[in-house]
Amino acid sequence: MRIFFATDVHGSETCWRKFLNSGKHYKADVVILGGDMTGKALVPIISEGGDTWHSTLLENRETLVGEEQVTEFEQAVKRRGYYPFRTDPDELAELSRDESRWHALFDEHMLRTVREWMELADERLAGTGIRCFVCPGNDDQLEVDDVILEAKNVELGEGRVVELGNYQLLSSGWANRTPWDTYREEDEPQLAERINKMVELITTPPELTIFSLHCPPYGTGLDDAPELTADMDLKDAGHAVHPVGSTAVREAIERFGPALSLHGHIHEARGTKRLGKTLCINPGSSYEQGQLLGAVIDIEDGKQVKKFVLTSG
Amino acid sequence: MTVTAGSGAFQERDVFVRKATGLVRGWSVRDAFVYATFAINLVTLGWFIFASAPFIPNGGLLWAVVVSGAFLIFQAIVYASLISVMPRAGGDYVWMSRVLGGGIGFVLAVAGWWFILWYWVPIYANILNIEVLGPLSAIVGWHSGVTFWAGNAGIFVASVITAVLASLFIALGIRTYGKIQKFCFYGGLFGLAVMAIILLVTSHTGFINDFNSQAHKLYGTTGNAYGATVKAGTAKAGYVPTSVGHFNFSGVLLLIPMLMFFNLWSNWGATLYGEVRGASDFRKNIYAMGGALIATTIVAGIFFLLFAKTFGWNFYMGGNNAFYLGTGPTGVFPYPATLAAMIFGSPVLQFILITVMSLWFFGWVGSVFLSSTRVVFAASFDRILPERVASVSKSGVPYWALALMLLPSIPLAALYAWSHSFRSYTLDATLVIAITFLGTTVAAAILPWRKPEIYNASPIAKYKILGIPLITAAALMFATILIWALIKWFSDGAYGVNNTDSFYLMGGMYVLAIGIYVISQIVRKRQGIDLKMVYGEIPAE
Repeated sequence: MRIFFATDVHGSETCWRKFLNSGKHYKADVVILGGDMTGKALVPIISEGGDTWHSTLLENRETLVGEEQVTEFEQAVKRRGYYPFRTDPDELAELSRDESRWHALFDEHMLRTVREWMELADERLAGTGIRCFVCPGNDDQLEVDDVILEAKNVELGEGRVVELGNYQLLSSGWANRTPWDTYREEDEPQLAERINKMVELITTPPELTIFSLHCPPYGTGLDDAPELTADMDLKDAGHAVHPVGSTAVREAIERFGPALSLHGHIHEARGTKRLGKTLCINPGSSYEQGQLLGAVIDIEDGKQVKKFVLTSG
Repeated sequence: MTVTAGSGAFQERDVFVRKATGLVRGWSVRDAFVYATFAINLVTLGWFIFASAPFIPNGGLLWAVVVSGAFLIFQAIVYASLISVMPRAGGDYVWMSRVLGGGIGFVLAVAGWWFILWYWVPIYANILNIEVLGPLSAIVGWHSGVTFWAGNAGIFVASVITAVLASLFIALGIRTYGKIQKFCFYGGLFGLAVMAIILLVTSHTGFINDFNSQAHKLYGTTGNAYGATVKAGTAKAGYVPTSVGHFNFSGVLLLIPMLMFFNLWSNWGATLYGEVRGASDFRKNIYAMGGALIATTIVAGIFFLLFAKTFGWNFYMGGNNAFYLGTGPTGVFPYPATLAAMIFGSPVLQFILITVMSLWFFGWVGSVFLSSTRVVFAASFDRILPERVASVSKSGVPYWALALMLLPSIPLAALYAWSHSFRSYTLDATLVIAITFLGTTVAAAILPWRKPEIYNASPIAKYKILGIPLITAAALMFATILIWALIKWFSDGAYGVNNTDSFYLMGGMYVLAIGIYVISQIVRKRQGIDLKMVYGEIPAE
């Protein structure tokens, strides 16, 4: 069985479309998106009156004239993983003053986009025979799960143990604490308890089990993130890295010893690591560039996983 | 931007960002500047290679440093652009492999970032000897030590020290090494400042007296050692040094390939950055790398003027020439910090100055292996090298990658130590890396057409010069200086690498790289792993 695994597309429409095509491209039987599928930012496109607009993307201010330019700009924003919305100076001023209003607007755009993505997935994956799993990550709000559950050709991973041929796949997008206080994070003891409860549901032996846990195991290099100062600046210009993964995840892998353990969360820490017989993979993420970093893994009836490549599609 | 809307003025928001992992405020240009400044290390690389300037008699060292420094700003733009387009790519290997193809990327990257750095170990060791161990031995009165460090065994022992130190720093982790580097940087700056002040307040005549007295004390010379040094390096050698401010266009151009040994590395630490969010990050990268280049060039220029004022330019250049001819009265490398230390009568102060200046070496020594281990890891993740070579110990030590650097470097260090013809190929070390940089530069130049989606989605897509993407224009300029240097290295004997043995040395590296790549393709195919998947792009539509 061939698995394609990618993670952390963070709202990038290009990456999502590539993910949907990845099954055919890599001849995979199963495609898994490991978490953090929703975007991080709303980008206002502000009317200047008439058919002139302006907006700023990646700190570059653009003046847009006519519907064609605005639509093109909106696509560029979506490709980057952000949500564009059209507004005028008055509305923008109100939004800026009222945090709850722009949060509501963000949720509206984010959930609408996830819904559109699920519709696209249903259309693209129909009749292909490719199983598609999506497990939201710590950056994805809990409401996202309900939208995924409505999809016909996408299966929700969160909190479940599912059959994959002779294998079982355990998935969770929850992570240990981050400096950003995100939606699915908790202290290590609670995370350990969550994983342990799921492990109890597994009926296959370790060599026929796959973990898909968004957070990488602690101290494996798959969790090396740039260290931050108290002001949330990158320390030493990003050169100083330190492990930020989960001890609970590591302990679960070492104790249970699944054949394969798939992770994401730390975009910079692309790599592989063996913990005992378990092959742990974090393919990393370059969603801002529209590159879908991933891993193609061939698993065979309980044999140690040796056939795999990290991809940059 | 402040605009007026509704009831009053407000700060127009460009973006509404929710809570999400990885959103950081930014990074300090100063920190990146420190790393880049360490890479183009004036004290270790600069003062070492400046001593070879008499090989280009009409060169005009000061202006060559200025012109090459200004031209290499284009290098900073090229690399800042690549970081902006593919920030987490991991450097030259990934940029080239994604744009030019896996084979080209692998061969050029491993030759330039891995194999050639074995050869840099004895070069580092040589610098350690002539700038640290030799002078300190002389100051403490260990005269046989001076002879030892200058001899074959001394270079070999220093190579082992260098390789072990570099391995130790990497084993300690990049976080700890970063702290060591920062301490060494600020300590080293203090040393430079002290040295500048000493040179500023000491008269030329005063220096001559101090030199004659200390050369006798430290190195056993007799009589007018200063005059003898000048004579040995100039009149007796048939060499007439130009003045410090001498400008000769062709001479400047000829010196540039030599100076690249010192100032081609502002991009050395530029491959690891977090989430690049916009045009300001691109500019920050340019400020850090270009700023380091400009600052180092200015400091180099100031010291040239100070050398000319206090040492005398004829003495500085003649001393360098005499050292390489083996005719200097002291018999040791005229390391400017040692010359400045001679102004102190006190051995304690001399010892302290050389020790503080040695921080420029100790903060820099880890760089000989650090980037190589990353290339080894990247190639392993791409399954070209075995999975095992990316293994790290429980404490995070990349022991296989380190072994791949450390073990070959030791026998090569022995060759360097005991074979003088092998030693003369020092500039191959720059040449092979320059070829790698040229590969990356070609990748940068064609990036907007080879990877239009990625390029157009980057914050630099809007920067154009006469309709040409900035990254392409800068790459063409950087390629020009690289090609010039390569032509000179291959065709002019003055650089020491235009000979058959040197070509074998370099060719061997590329053959080894090609061999590894071909074998990996065969092995992976037999294992049923299709390496084409590594680089192939998935259609988005």
